[in-house]
Amino acid sequence: MTSLTDRYIWAAVRTVPESERPDLELDIRDLIEGAVEARTATRHDPAAAERDALSELGDPERLAADYVDRPLTLIGPRYYLDWLRLLRTVLLIVVPLATVAVLVVRLLTTGSIGGAIGSAVSTAITATVHIGFWTTLLFVVLERSGTTDGTMEWTVDRLPDLPDHDRSARLPEFIASLVFLGLFAGAIVWQQLRSVVRDEAGGAVPLLDPALWSFWIPWFLGLIAAEALFALRVYRRGWSWWSAVVNLVLGLAFAVPALLLWAGGRVLNPAFTDAVGWDPAVAAGGGWTAGGIVVAAVVIIAAWDVADGFLRAHRALAAHPARPLSAHR
Amino acid sequence: MSRDDDLTAGHLQELRRGTVVLACLTRLRTPDYGYSLLESLDVLGIQVDANTLYPLLRRLEKQGLLVSEWNTAESRPRKFYRTSPAGDDLAALLTDDWDRLTASLHRLSEGEEP
Repeated sequence: MTSLTDRYIWAAVRTVPESERPDLELDIRDLIEGAVEARTATRHDPAAAERDALSELGDPERLAADYVDRPLTLIGPRYYLDWLRLLRTVLLIVVPLATVAVLVVRLLTTGSIGGAIGSAVSTAITATVHIGFWTTLLFVVLERSGTTDGTMEWTVDRLPDLPDHDRSARLPEFIASLVFLGLFAGAIVWQQLRSVVRDEAGGAVPLLDPALWSFWIPWFLGLIAAEALFALRVYRRGWSWWSAVVNLVLGLAFAVPALLLWAGGRVLNPAFTDAVGWDPAVAAGGGWTAGGIVVAAVVIIAAWDVADGFLRAHRALAAHPARPLSAHR
Repeated sequence: MSRDDDLTAGHLQELRRGTVVLACLTRLRTPDYGYSLLESLDVLGIQVDANTLYPLLRRLEKQGLLVSEWNTAESRPRKFYRTSPAGDDLAALLTDDWDRLTASLHRLSEGEEP
């Protein structure tokens, strides 16, 4: 046989472990020579017969893989769905968290919006690539190590909940809540770092009393985070009596300390009111002081929000007529 | 090849998968070497590619259904395969199942209700 056959055999056997090579080489040589013999017996000249036979045998690496039962897929059907589910879950949890964390930290430490967004985007990309790579590698190793334990076996309990057809209707409200809460939290941080009012030295004069940072401003920032989680919960599950009660608690946790602090004159920064020459105790007109208007506004908004929660819970719990599943899409 | 031909080819391949194993186990009750087996199957209308058949024979040997020996008496060494007793038993079982399926399909096509 010529070098073409030898090259074919070498291309095949070099992809299997050393110990299996001699055996495989004999087998493949037998196969090729049988195929060439069958062709020269009829009409071909030997060189053309050899070329023809090798072409028909196809990719030598595929042939070798067939011989030693090596998988020709990165992740086969046994693990594909587990791989997909794990990848999706980890990506959906880790990437948004890491991105938001980097965005907030960079925003607070550098104060530059552009730089913070740049860092956040680069974090999102890096996290996605790393998670994709390492998860896939794990499953590639699993696929090749050939373990067959049933830890990831599918059970009926893993069936997903039916899609909630009201959810898409709640999406605009959910987004509006997040935007509002984000702006609110941003405004609290912004008035401290970059207030429009400046003192003689050119430093920012915060609107809120800096003494509040010892407890109450973190309290309100924490409440904003809790409100965001609550909005997510309502978006996913809809309103219920339970969520109306949580809404009431959150509303009280905000309104009561806010009103007490306001009544005690502890909200505004004295340096700020001095700088702008504004006193909330002075009557603004019609017998109302600016301070009184703020109190009324907080009470009305809080009361409306709480009442609205119970109203929505009542409406949501009125029975929905059954629909075919396909209508959920 | 049109889409319909592809479809037909795919279904035929599905149906024939597995029959090659039965054919080999049955045919190799008389010892033979790979390429000769391939040609005799081809004559009988059981078409299989060499690059499918050879790895299959080796797999069946690993499973103990075939036994092999190298014949070095001729101009070049040739590997002869023969069905083992275990392979013989499996061939009998597969044949019975094949016959049962054939009978069932006939009854189905004759419109017999269960």
